[in-house]
Amino acid sequence: MNISAPVLKTHKSLLISALLVSLFGTLSFNSAAFDFEGAIKDTVKDAVKKQIDPQAESASTTVPATENTTAATEPAFNWKNPSKDEEIALGREISGNLLGAAPLVKDAALQKYVNSVGRWVASQSERPDLPWRFGVIESDDLNAFAAPGGYVMVTKGLYRKLTNEAQLAGVLGHEIGHIVKKHQLKVLQKQQLLNFGAGLLSDKYAKDNKLVSKAIGSGAEISARSLDKSAEYEADRLGVSYATRAGYEPFGLADVLQTLGQTSKNDGSVALLFKTHPLPDERLAALGDAVGSKLDNIKNGKTLENRFYVLKN
Amino acid sequence: MNRITKMLIAVSLPALLLANISLAAETGSALKNDSMRFEPFSDAKLTGSFTRGESLEIIKKQGAWLQVKTKKSAGWVRLLSVKRGASSSTGNQTSGVLAAASGRAGTGQVVSTTGIRGLSEQDLKAAKFNETEVKTLESYTLSADQGKQFATAGKLKTIAFANLKAPQGDAK
Repeated sequence: MNISAPVLKTHKSLLISALLVSLFGTLSFNSAAFDFEGAIKDTVKDAVKKQIDPQAESASTTVPATENTTAATEPAFNWKNPSKDEEIALGREISGNLLGAAPLVKDAALQKYVNSVGRWVASQSERPDLPWRFGVIESDDLNAFAAPGGYVMVTKGLYRKLTNEAQLAGVLGHEIGHIVKKHQLKVLQKQQLLNFGAGLLSDKYAKDNKLVSKAIGSGAEISARSLDKSAEYEADRLGVSYATRAGYEPFGLADVLQTLGQTSKNDGSVALLFKTHPLPDERLAALGDAVGSKLDNIKNGKTLENRFYVLKN
Repeated sequence: MNRITKMLIAVSLPALLLANISLAAETGSALKNDSMRFEPFSDAKLTGSFTRGESLEIIKKQGAWLQVKTKKSAGWVRLLSVKRGASSSTGNQTSGVLAAASGRAGTGQVVSTTGIRGLSEQDLKAAKFNETEVKTLESYTLSADQGKQFATAGKLKTIAFANLKAPQGDAK
């Protein structure tokens, strides 16, 4: 939490676009992601502009960004190896933006319940020390989100599809997996490195900003994409692993994927998700390959539908 | 009244779920090629096999296994090999992708005209950091001990289980 708000603010647009790639696979940020490419390009262009021309407001000349000026405009945040506090501050910023678009469901008992389940599952992860927090947000989309440092949010639309605690544990476990493996953080870091790279490139290409931003735009897009699919499969495996260790019936996440797989492809709440992420069927099959016989002897896992919190509306 | 309704729902949910699991004739389809066994054990003798996309009838669930019936034979198979719900033939994979792809251009409109509560690209771009909401979110943060108490109340017991790894030689 050493970062001052203004510093983070300069990253806000970056964070928003990073959010687009940080979503639970099933659960992509529906309508937001559809102009993903464009959003990334705009954001990167802005960021590049700042790097290339840090004094644009006071000076009309193009100042090539040396490492010194870069350091001067981007202080405090250690992008190469962010501390835990920096990671949390970043996640807080991303979550705050998301909550600005979709606030928490005003139901304290619901939020408390989700935090209880999430905290217990997170305690089975490799990072039990993070200040894990969970929220259900006001949206009818089927989606869930993770942000660095332990922030997890599930849409009301997805929560409504759940019928027991093991399924919730599986969904939250998937998001916890993203955070433990720093999937979002890595995307942000990569993007920042590209920005720094742009600063260096500006010496050669200062007169042709378009060329620079174009190259970076497509580069970031490709790396975000290729990370996405494998990251989702990995988070699926971890979600199942954590929920299983926590004492839940291991197939909660698989149940949810089955439900998603049965959702009409024409349903607006999932249409994009099926396009931008592995289809639920593929995820189930991939999970099946990873599981093999490993869950054959797991007995007595609990589903706890008796205490599952049912939404009031 | 409300409480009673809730209780009724809470009581009937497990029953509904059980019904779902044990009811005969739920349909499904194979997510991959796999073989069926006489009993729900990996060393039980083989009774037959099915190929990806083949329609199945799901008879019941037991642990990690489903008892299924194909046109030719029947047996037990691991549940992650089966897609539950209305039969989807081999062609489905493609049509799903196509359907989603063709829905792409319309996605923004679908969302805005059906009144789905907003997470459109525009909403996101315009989203402003909401300090109050983040603080509320953070106010729910529980300690590891509190999580443990909750688990104990639900009689959840941790078990030893290594993280699942990607299958070998799989780029996934």
